[in-house]
Amino acid sequence: MPREAEPSQNEKDFILKAVREGHRLDGRALDEFRQLDLKFGDQYGVADVTLGKTRIIAKVTAEVTVPYTDRPFDGIFTITTELSPMASPAFEVNRPTETEVLLSRLLEKTVRRSNALDTESLCLVAGQKCWSIRVDLHVLSHDGNLIDASCLAVVAALRHFRKPDTSMEGDTLTVYTPAEREPVPLSWLHSPFCITFSFFGSISVGEDGEEKDIWLLDTTLLEEQLRVSSCTISMNKHGEICQVAKPGGAPVEAVTVVQCSSLALQKVKDLSDFVDQKLAEDSKHRNKGGLLAELSAENAR
Amino acid sequence: MATQTDKVYVLPGDEIDSALIPSHPKHPLRLGPGLRHVPPSDLFPTTAGQLVTDRRKNLIWVESNGGRYIPAVGDLVIGTIHHGAADFFYVTLSDYTSNATLPQLAFEMASKKNRPQLHSGNLVYARVSLANRHMDPELECVSPSTGKAEGLGPLSEGMLYSISLGMARRLLMRKSAEEGKVVVLDELGAAGLAFETAVGRNGKMWVNSKDIKTVLVVGRAVTETDEKSLTVEQQKKLVRRLIKEMA
Amino acid sequence: MPLDTSTYNLALLRVDGRRWNELRQQKGQLGVQPSADGSAYLEMGNTKIQCIISGPNERDLSKSTSSASTAPTSNGAGATVAVSIMIAPFATVDRKRRGRNDKRLQEMQTTIASGLAATVQGQSYGPRSTIHISLNVLSQDGSLLACLINAASLALVDAGVPMTDYLVACTAGSTSSYAAADEEADPLLDLNTQEEQELPFLTLATLGATDKVVAMVCESRVQLTRLEGMMATAADGCKGVRDFLDGVVRDKGELMVQEGAIGRGEVVSSMDLD
Repeated sequence: MPREAEPSQNEKDFILKAVREGHRLDGRALDEFRQLDLKFGDQYGVADVTLGKTRIIAKVTAEVTVPYTDRPFDGIFTITTELSPMASPAFEVNRPTETEVLLSRLLEKTVRRSNALDTESLCLVAGQKCWSIRVDLHVLSHDGNLIDASCLAVVAALRHFRKPDTSMEGDTLTVYTPAEREPVPLSWLHSPFCITFSFFGSISVGEDGEEKDIWLLDTTLLEEQLRVSSCTISMNKHGEICQVAKPGGAPVEAVTVVQCSSLALQKVKDLSDFVDQKLAEDSKHRNKGGLLAELSAENAR
Repeated sequence: MATQTDKVYVLPGDEIDSALIPSHPKHPLRLGPGLRHVPPSDLFPTTAGQLVTDRRKNLIWVESNGGRYIPAVGDLVIGTIHHGAADFFYVTLSDYTSNATLPQLAFEMASKKNRPQLHSGNLVYARVSLANRHMDPELECVSPSTGKAEGLGPLSEGMLYSISLGMARRLLMRKSAEEGKVVVLDELGAAGLAFETAVGRNGKMWVNSKDIKTVLVVGRAVTETDEKSLTVEQQKKLVRRLIKEMA
Repeated sequence: MPLDTSTYNLALLRVDGRRWNELRQQKGQLGVQPSADGSAYLEMGNTKIQCIISGPNERDLSKSTSSASTAPTSNGAGATVAVSIMIAPFATVDRKRRGRNDKRLQEMQTTIASGLAATVQGQSYGPRSTIHISLNVLSQDGSLLACLINAASLALVDAGVPMTDYLVACTAGSTSSYAAADEEADPLLDLNTQEEQELPFLTLATLGATDKVVAMVCESRVQLTRLEGMMATAADGCKGVRDFLDGVVRDKGELMVQEGAIGRGEVVSSMDLD
């Protein structure tokens, strides 16, 4: 079957030469992100992230189910990723590519294993009823840096999500509709973000010929096809690493990895502020003339 | 080429006003891309776009900015060598389409003993010599009548940019400034940049220059003009901005 | 709090009696499977791996649908490295079967394949050949990824595949949990299962004796300030592992000379490379 055309030798040589001199095709600095945009849907828990030409939608749903027998006090939290042929003809339905496996593993490690969502709070009746939170991630357009954008979408969607309020009276569990009681947010512990560094070999700097690794942030698809290796660092704004993955590829100096990790912290703080700001804007927009606005008006008096 | 003042846009299946169809005493009517002839005498557009006619040569076609390149005889294209075989190079023209074949002898001065050494990943500027719906297209890098390359052949160094098919056609128009409304390249040249380009009808543009920054500026100017469909004035403004940034 | 750290603070000894910078007992053997093109057996503590290499042979398209992960060497101009991991059902304390499409295993396979692709000089074989590496986990007690990488490196040497250096890996942990920000925390080298479950740790794969990082995987929450110490410890561990693997290879070479499998002159020329 015909496949995606690989970048030609001319493109490879040129991009490498340009990157070594500190230029990128779209005129960005080496550590600069593309235009990032985050929109929330009308419903709770829908986040639409656009990063340059990459576009990702995450949707959160919740339902009441029976918890796993080996974890009776925990709710269920799953993240599913779908790279459909819509994003790129390279992806096929029901046949996960390596990109997809690595992406879903990274999200799993970054968001789920780092306990960003308190799964114990999802338990309703121990061993019998719990919330099952499911994040569906759809990649609508693939132009590189899926990992960082996906992680941002998942975190933003989960923080935006509201699950129906519940109450226990004796043995009866009541789940309220949004009309009866305002839905409640998830118990969220920290917001991890992924930063992916793409390496492009090394150049010698200074007179002693010291080797310095060159890396880019937020690579486009073309740049991603040409990189020699990559390293994804997930962190929250408190400087806690949630996950580091450099899956093979060409070697880089250990010092570079350490430098990258401290730079990642700065970037994570920026992203964290960005999401906070967007969430605040959204809740302000939603409460315009709403119940909360009325309440606050009364309190002011 | 088209010389109409008010533009006519058609949708697939639209009826074409018979007054718009050129009639010529001598030449037969020739249909270009995007039109289908239903015998005996009906003419339907198959793509959405601008209806263009040439009354002098008795031509009619639909100009559209479609996403996928379909080879047609005589098109100039930029391809990437996929692999070489005994007599042919297999050349990729666009993603997810089968390769075009380029005979190893279809180069200027090529003979059995002296043929071009091309490896996978190299770029070639070629002309489509054979295009059938059910066959892989065939390319040539030499004019069959004169035996001269006429600018075709391997492209070394430089950078390849992807542009929309419509943009590629506009750039390839004989008077791209007046008819295609693209002035970026002229403006960049007028600003004192030295560079060379080659445009492939399959939505590719190759840019080369001694200076990396020049290549980057030219590439950005053209892709931005393409993506944001800039007007002539905006193009001039863009070029001024890019030149300023570069300095 | 974790029992490991609580006892560690008293005597600075870990649960299995090691100090912070000690590797576990290692055993290695080359050529354990005579019918294979290359094979090795490696023990690091109670983690026991057998690695079998077949190839390089021509790429079999029917096999491309199997669960192995592949990575091309030398920018696609060389042989492809295909890695598949099988964990024996009796490898862990609780006996369980894993599905073929375990994403964690697939991720490990990818890491190993593209890690080895960085050191294997595949251009001598051409782009249509594949080196199949199958890794069998016989017993699992921590540092699994690191052991798999080391075992694969050793087996590649036995198979005679040209490499620039050994790809060696080691784990390092930190005695502080992520919540505690105490500065007294010590890094720990080469963790076993019990320590892995309690402490934040990372796996680092370096190219032989250099500090060049080929692969790095950290799956637990840890303070950024801990990273450097853990990486330095792991890098030291990698050097130790490299010396050990080198020793195994040289012993095997000497044995072959004694048995007369290869002439002395050949050995001198081929073994005195460094």
